[in-house]
Amino acid sequence: MNNIFWCNNCLAMSTRPRITFDSRGFCNACVWSETKREIDWKSRDQELQELLLKHRSREADFDCIVPVSGGKDGSYVAYTLKEKYGLKILCLTVTPPLPLPLGEKNLRSFVESGFNHISVNPDYEVMRVLNKIGFEEMGFPYYGWLLAIQSIPAIIANKFGIGLVIYGEDGEIEYGGTDETSRSPIFDSNYQKRIYLENGYDKVIRASKLTDSQLALFSFPDFGRHTHASIDLTHWSYFENWDPYRNYLVAKEHCGLQEADSANSGTFTNFSQNDQALYALHTYLMYLKYGFGRANQDASIEIRRGSMNRDQAKNLVKLYDGHYPEEFLNIYLDYYQMKKRDFDLVLDRYANKDLFEKLNGKWMPRFEIE
Amino acid sequence: MKNYKATVIDYGMGNIWSVTSALQYLGCEVDVSSDALIIERAQTLILPGVGSFRKAMNALISMNLEASILNSVLARKAKFLGICLGMQLMGTKSTEDGETKGLGLIPSSVDKFSSSEVADRKVPHIGFDQVHFDSDGNLFKGISGNQDFYFVHSYRMLPPDSKAGLSTCNYGIDFLAAYENDNIFATQFHPEKSQTNGLRLLDNFLKV
Amino acid sequence: MLKKRLIFTLLYSNGSFMLSRNFRLQAVGNLAWLQRNYDFSQISYSIDELVVLDVTREKRNIDKFCEVLKSLTINNFVPITAGGGVWDVDSAQKLLRSGADKILINSSLFIERYLAKELSEEYGQQCVVASIDLKRSKVGELQVLSHNGSKLHESPARELIDSVLTMEVGEIYLNSVDRDGTGQGLDFEVLELLPARVNKPVILAGGAGNSNHLLLGFKDSRVDAVATANLFNFVGDGLKKARHELVLGGIRLPMWDLGFRNSDVTSLPQNLG
Repeated sequence: MNNIFWCNNCLAMSTRPRITFDSRGFCNACVWSETKREIDWKSRDQELQELLLKHRSREADFDCIVPVSGGKDGSYVAYTLKEKYGLKILCLTVTPPLPLPLGEKNLRSFVESGFNHISVNPDYEVMRVLNKIGFEEMGFPYYGWLLAIQSIPAIIANKFGIGLVIYGEDGEIEYGGTDETSRSPIFDSNYQKRIYLENGYDKVIRASKLTDSQLALFSFPDFGRHTHASIDLTHWSYFENWDPYRNYLVAKEHCGLQEADSANSGTFTNFSQNDQALYALHTYLMYLKYGFGRANQDASIEIRRGSMNRDQAKNLVKLYDGHYPEEFLNIYLDYYQMKKRDFDLVLDRYANKDLFEKLNGKWMPRFEIE
Repeated sequence: MKNYKATVIDYGMGNIWSVTSALQYLGCEVDVSSDALIIERAQTLILPGVGSFRKAMNALISMNLEASILNSVLARKAKFLGICLGMQLMGTKSTEDGETKGLGLIPSSVDKFSSSEVADRKVPHIGFDQVHFDSDGNLFKGISGNQDFYFVHSYRMLPPDSKAGLSTCNYGIDFLAAYENDNIFATQFHPEKSQTNGLRLLDNFLKV
Repeated sequence: MLKKRLIFTLLYSNGSFMLSRNFRLQAVGNLAWLQRNYDFSQISYSIDELVVLDVTREKRNIDKFCEVLKSLTINNFVPITAGGGVWDVDSAQKLLRSGADKILINSSLFIERYLAKELSEEYGQQCVVASIDLKRSKVGELQVLSHNGSKLHESPARELIDSVLTMEVGEIYLNSVDRDGTGQGLDFEVLELLPARVNKPVILAGGAGNSNHLLLGFKDSRVDAVATANLFNFVGDGLKKARHELVLGGIRLPMWDLGFRNSDVTSLPQNLG
């Protein structure tokens, strides 16, 4: 507890895995947002053109795969690649386990705004098993789905003869974490397993006791070996200044994105992450583990884009962060086939006791943002 | 325990609610009335007002309130506070929309801000402005020199040649912002809209 | 010297207070939420004026709105402007009797132009605030919208604004739909639509997220007041801090006697509320 501190610019916490701070006490996401203004984006665009050229020569029906959810980020990337760069893109969604009506509506609107799109639905039960294990063993309530969005785009790309998958942003760079991909746009399954899957892939797979054929869509084959052509995975945020709010405005204008009527669980925004119920649990667990939740992340984004200052953000985080997602509780219990008592016990296990104490059955922060 | 009582004159024009609210906030028991008899007998009277001078005077006359007010103030020496249009009604006359006679409690007429007076300034005079107040009087007791009050008017009264307590505000021309003469008080600005400054002034009035 | 004004705008819809982003509404909280997180009896020392608009998209209920208005105006001694769906003098009367000092009209300016005249004859010109919503077309030209942003007016914005300036209204409230709720800062290009000499106070709104945005607004000589409706960004002590920054930044805002507080009122009335 003694050593936790906050970024002096935004509200990112020192507890965030892999986060680093500079001499001013600015976290790497804030430093990056400053650096972004000085970056020679033209040369980044050059690199993009070269990458696209490399894969265009493959004579596939599509130039690349763009994972989307119907939300603002994927929609923005897809729209930009199609309209501005004139690429033939294939959009791909891995259906989330507990989809929300607004999410489904937004995905429909996105597709109808004019995109080729595949919806992949891995075996519901297989994903459920992986999600449950992820929840219990790692405090990652939708581990299976997270895994699927890392594995499936490459698998599908391979089947279609496409060599390039363009994800939205690298959260590590944009929101705090390792800056490995800041110098090189291409990442691979090792990075995915290490970073996005928090080195838990082997553990979870083993614990699932599922067969290879059941896990076909959840695996990371080495494509180079079979096809002599690797699949390049990249982030759009390497080639263009990543701006979540801009993404929202474009998605709203061109892809039919609709916001929720009121703020989403655990935050003050209504235009982000509207596609699945488990996200609220994911961010609540993040809050319990590290001390920051969805409101903190959203507020930090707002600070970086200059719409509010740190004091204003603090007020919002105090008001909205760390919300126990009781509105979805029954859905979660039903999905995991758990009783509330056991569910709460899992949450208890992940609550960082240095940061939180249980008062009246609720985990309350011992800290106040400084 | 303060024991204030005041009667707010309701003649169909004016923000009765805010004035009443402010008075109650200060611990005053407020009676809102349009009854000529009650008004005539009241000890403390408040005349609020927003809108047209002519309509207001017509309303007061038709409700027999003009007479009640004058009796109450001049004969019975009730404590009287006119606010905004209420203050203007206390003037001799107004040139808004032709000429209309006022209550005559303040020896000054009501005329529109002329363009030569205000020069580049915008009319109506809306917003918070500084009052150069009469520090000998009761209204501004305890209020420091540069506090602002809320004005919203297109018509103004000029300071009369009088020994009464005169407070002014400059809007190209020094116009009458407040008036104090024995039991007769008036403010062109809205004390009930002037935050704590106004509350203190109202409190001062109630204390007199 | 006439001071500039810091205005907070509350957007009300069907019982909730809203955050608007480019005129899309997000419900934030009800009156209780507002009282908890904004405590107007305290923060009214941070703002100079309150605007309360009924932006309900469905059928409006003015009586309910007036109830809410009354609750807001209690112990809140700032000028209050109310509006939203005002089409006749009766509605204006209801609002004025519920605590409003001024009436804001918008859509009627372009459809039933006589309303401004009627209202000013009844209550005085200073009582009428004309609000104009502006949004850029696809080619970047500012255009006037009304009816909660659903109706576009073809006539050039400059002409429409000029004609409103000739009406019997007391003030002009210019709102940028493009910047609304974005926290990207005020749209100063909107001011370019005004004639060189404007005879009425100008309130600029749309896009202010932090005190710096407000400061830039106040520094512009064409602006008499700056309004923000950003219910999230100024929650808690946000408005108080913003005002502090503005004063430090050299903006002449009204001076309040902060020494006079509740404690000076030695008896609290029984019948309050």
